[in-house]
Amino acid sequence: MDKILLVPIFLPLTAGFVLLFLPNKTKSLSKALTLVISGLTLALAIRIFTVGQLDYACSVLQIDNLKLDLLLSAKPLGGFILMFAMGFGLLITLYSLRSRNETKRANVYYGAILLSIGGTAGVLLSNHLLFLLMFWEIVTVSLYLLITTGGRNSNFAATKSFAMVGVSDAALLLGTLMIWARSGTFVISDISIATTSTLPIIAFLLLMTAAITKAGALPLHTWLPTSGEYAPTSVMALLPAAIDKLLGIYLLVIIVREIFVLESAALSFILALIGSATVIIAVMIAMVQHNLKKLLSYHAISQVGYMVLGIATGTAVGIAGGVFHMLNHAIYKCCLFLCGGAVEQAAGTCELDRLGGLGKKMSITFITCLIAALSISGMPPFNGFVSKWMVYQGVIQMGTARTSGAAQLWPVWLTCAIFGSVLTLASFVKLIHSVFLSRLPEELKDVKEVSPLQTFPMVVLASLCVFFGIFYHVPLKLFIYPALNIEPGTAIFGTWDSVLATGLIIIGIGLGLLILLVGLLSRKVRTVPTWTCGETQTNEQMTIPGTHFYKTVSSMGGLKQLYTRQENGHFDLYNQAQKLGLALIKRLRRLHSGILPTYLTWVILGLLVILLIVCGIQIWWGSLIATALFLVIPLLSILKKEEKMKKLKVTFEIEGTHLADMFYLNEENLEKSILLAFDEKNPSPLFDDNLNTKVRNLEIQDIE
Amino acid sequence: MSIPLPVFIAVPLVTAFLLPVFSSLGRKGKAVATVLANFVTVSLLVMAVASIGQFRVYEVGKWSIPLGINLVLDGLSSLLLLAISVVSAAAMLFSARYMEQYTAKAKYLCLFLLMVAGMNGVVLSGDIFNLFVFLEIASIASYALVGFGCEHEELEASFKYMVLGSIGSIFVLFAVALVYGNTGSLNMAYISKAIQGSGLNAGLSFAMALFVVGFGLKAALVPFHAWLPDAHPSAPAPISAMLSGILIKTLGIYALARVVFNVFGVSVSMGWLLVVLGLLSMVAGAFLAIGQEDFKRLLAYSSISQIGYVVLGLGLGGLIIARDGNVAWASLAILGGLFHLVNHAVYKSLLFLTSGSVQMSTGTRQLKQMGGLAEKLPFTRATCTVASASIVGIPPFSGFWSKLILVIAAVQAHFYWVAAIIVFVSLCTLIMYLKVQRYVFLGELPENLQQIKENKGSMLVAMVFLACLCGLMGLLLVPALRSNILQPAVDVLTDGISYSANVIKMSMKV
Repeated sequence: MDKILLVPIFLPLTAGFVLLFLPNKTKSLSKALTLVISGLTLALAIRIFTVGQLDYACSVLQIDNLKLDLLLSAKPLGGFILMFAMGFGLLITLYSLRSRNETKRANVYYGAILLSIGGTAGVLLSNHLLFLLMFWEIVTVSLYLLITTGGRNSNFAATKSFAMVGVSDAALLLGTLMIWARSGTFVISDISIATTSTLPIIAFLLLMTAAITKAGALPLHTWLPTSGEYAPTSVMALLPAAIDKLLGIYLLVIIVREIFVLESAALSFILALIGSATVIIAVMIAMVQHNLKKLLSYHAISQVGYMVLGIATGTAVGIAGGVFHMLNHAIYKCCLFLCGGAVEQAAGTCELDRLGGLGKKMSITFITCLIAALSISGMPPFNGFVSKWMVYQGVIQMGTARTSGAAQLWPVWLTCAIFGSVLTLASFVKLIHSVFLSRLPEELKDVKEVSPLQTFPMVVLASLCVFFGIFYHVPLKLFIYPALNIEPGTAIFGTWDSVLATGLIIIGIGLGLLILLVGLLSRKVRTVPTWTCGETQTNEQMTIPGTHFYKTVSSMGGLKQLYTRQENGHFDLYNQAQKLGLALIKRLRRLHSGILPTYLTWVILGLLVILLIVCGIQIWWGSLIATALFLVIPLLSILKKEEKMKKLKVTFEIEGTHLADMFYLNEENLEKSILLAFDEKNPSPLFDDNLNTKVRNLEIQDIE
Repeated sequence: MSIPLPVFIAVPLVTAFLLPVFSSLGRKGKAVATVLANFVTVSLLVMAVASIGQFRVYEVGKWSIPLGINLVLDGLSSLLLLAISVVSAAAMLFSARYMEQYTAKAKYLCLFLLMVAGMNGVVLSGDIFNLFVFLEIASIASYALVGFGCEHEELEASFKYMVLGSIGSIFVLFAVALVYGNTGSLNMAYISKAIQGSGLNAGLSFAMALFVVGFGLKAALVPFHAWLPDAHPSAPAPISAMLSGILIKTLGIYALARVVFNVFGVSVSMGWLLVVLGLLSMVAGAFLAIGQEDFKRLLAYSSISQIGYVVLGLGLGGLIIARDGNVAWASLAILGGLFHLVNHAVYKSLLFLTSGSVQMSTGTRQLKQMGGLAEKLPFTRATCTVASASIVGIPPFSGFWSKLILVIAAVQAHFYWVAAIIVFVSLCTLIMYLKVQRYVFLGELPENLQQIKENKGSMLVAMVFLACLCGLMGLLLVPALRSNILQPAVDVLTDGISYSANVIKMSMKV
């Protein structure tokens, strides 16, 4: 019976790996295989969850005292997350059967879906940190492969995502090994380390980085919007929206509750800070987005903040709220991305300004999207409300219970969380309005609802949103409390009678609709062309895009500059690291001039240093001299460059204007440096970044 | 089965000089020459597999040491022998189709086999002067092969390689002379015995430094690496595979390890020196590789970085032995280094072969002039992806395991910062191979490449063979295989200077 744990991991992994290498002719085979296997793993996951305590152990490798055993165990937390993850896998497979048009990389797509399913099962079932790491990496690879199937420009997004999530893998590896160095074991259930000295604190920070990067929280979040823009929406719905969140938060819960005993106030402060900052910053960016998929991606970041904040509180209700929010988020965000995908497929674009009025054409998509949007905005009686409510309670409880560290600042965290929720609602009002409600553009007249295979997953997810909202006790009792070892009833306090409230809300909405209906019937409405200052315009031209209302935010003083810088990637750690790296590489490459005597010099200098070390001179002296020598060479080469300055007279023509001046310049890269120097001396609007292309008749005269 | 050790050297050496005779027989003769050369490399592979896990000494002409010359096959030698024969068999198979672009195929095959003979000689030689001789045979053959295309760029690269390589050889020769002068012996076992008796004097220390620089030049450790990024890309692809895959390891790493660990014995400062050289190569090589726009040049810089891992593993092991005397910890580090050496031999040669396949189809090595080749070259793409996954360290491919062991070894010995650097360089490696994937295989197919076709035949077989190895090499850690292939090699290095006693005892028996 215990061997059942192997199947949901290795069956999809093997099948996925084979699919990757199959020729494209076998597309229908891979579709069928993926469907069958994802269905099977879901069934197995449910079985594993209901059976409960299962353990599987198998010795894989032993080198001296380094033991590598494949330890799998079904624990309540992993078990319920596994069930939902597999459910998402099946729904997305169903959705993909129809959504992907004739693509040349269908096998890679389905293979990678299976890889991600198997990898996820592996992460959730592993009780051994190194195996957890391996499966974690497999999920990263599958994310990369899935994004590459997105066509134009997706390769850039895929590269960026892999590089950034790769940081998460690297951090996980280092953190894992530090834990091993401290506790001598990789078995998760055997580890319990107090965060009192430096080593455990660094290990904790590394693992935390791994978890929140996977989940998509600040500051290593920028892979998410980039891939959101270029990856297929079904991919976004599966991995970044659902599975990556589940895995990231799962790891965070594991490290906070099982691996480490958090005793350092600073660490919970860091977590709370990351949580609140993520909520507020990402939602601010999301508000001003014009692209449906990008907007959803930023919300996928923002919502992680609630989960991290909930876990940071350390209180039962907070953690339960964070985990519940993780589950709810996966459900509604997956639904939202699927809706987004449906809109993109039907309308052919994701630009909010070019969409509108699709509510009547795609009613199922509209209703499911509305439900999911209300859920993410934390509107009662949907599921997002309950979990956010629990997180708020957790923050308040933390503030009243303790007085140190993160707890002292609880009003700040609470404000961020509640304000973030308001802004979420604000940006979803825009989305719903621009996509489904405003005027239908001329070119979208023939739009039709997507196929039932695609609407089915959306309907399932939307109904889960409603069900988990109204009957929130059910998932809490069934999944969350047992997973976290919380006594039912201790976690949530106050009264929130969701059934009564739902009834009242429905009655209220019904009354409202009634009044609207009466009003509409009793009034005569006529439609006339718009009249502006003596000119009439057809109503089609008078569409007011929802995005324009939000320009107030993006052009607000102070915020405006931040927004522009953000848009230009100034706050993107990936871009910054790239810049830094490229500058360093440029230096290094300049050293490799291809001149043989230089290389010979290196050899002789190297020999000198090694002689010093080997012949008994202290190692530190040797290294000191070595560093000194290797600093001297680049310095010399830079100094040499400076000497080549010449006095030049320059004349040239730019867009019909003749210009002339005199400069001291060096000879390398002459043309560009002249123009830059000219720009510096006489600032002019004629100069912009691509100077070189506009210049005519450049003449340079050596005066000396 | 015990195969006489000189066979490993004599067979390729003799065949090498026979081949030009065949090729004068016209078209048919060339085909025969190709088949014969392939037969030789494959039979070398079979023999190498057959002699795994043995420890034997062969005395040339029955002259007993220290008067005579001996060949020694121990764990380390047989590991290297295996790696050499795997890479050369694959590269030779690849050449059968690839070298049809060039003329003078017989000369190519001759030089190729000479290089193999030289490398086998280096690995088997128990005598330090013979080691130098074989090192020169392999080096000179490789200088000629780098310039085989006879274009401007290739000749320049070959010239630079020759100058720097000869300097390395001269350092080694000078060191050999110093050692002979100070110990009165050229046999490594007896040199080691003499050093154990009298200790290191100034002359021997000087020789040691010269050995490090000389072999460091052959291994392309930073700062002695400058020839490699010119030489490796300029050679024909199968030769690049040989050079990066195995030549730098045999002439550089193996010889260095043998001399440092078995002849002189490691000291703390030598351990540190190797660690620093390794780290420097890893970091500098990785950064430089990221900045390259030329496919093969990127691979060449990445070789420098990967060689750094190997030297780091050996250096850490040596340092731990010399400082703490903890053999278990040291053996894990050395295991990581040697395992990485074997893995790198396989995946880097595969990467160079795929780059050759791409170059043959597209006619360019510039990354930015390619794109979208995934559809046109499916097999090249698949094998290149497997090799990239290996070098980046994605489980369950081979590179993951060796890097994991290295990191674990570093953490175990409390070198946390070393572990952090290893992981950081792995990230850089990830970025450079993402770059390869992005520019070569993904994206849009350029107009001028719409008509290209994949080259099939022997090239495919060679690439698929190596790709399968990449997937399966992780199994070398399974106890049954590890105790026969990797562990004997590790033990040779951890036992250090008891090599001398072992060899002398073995010779007595013979």
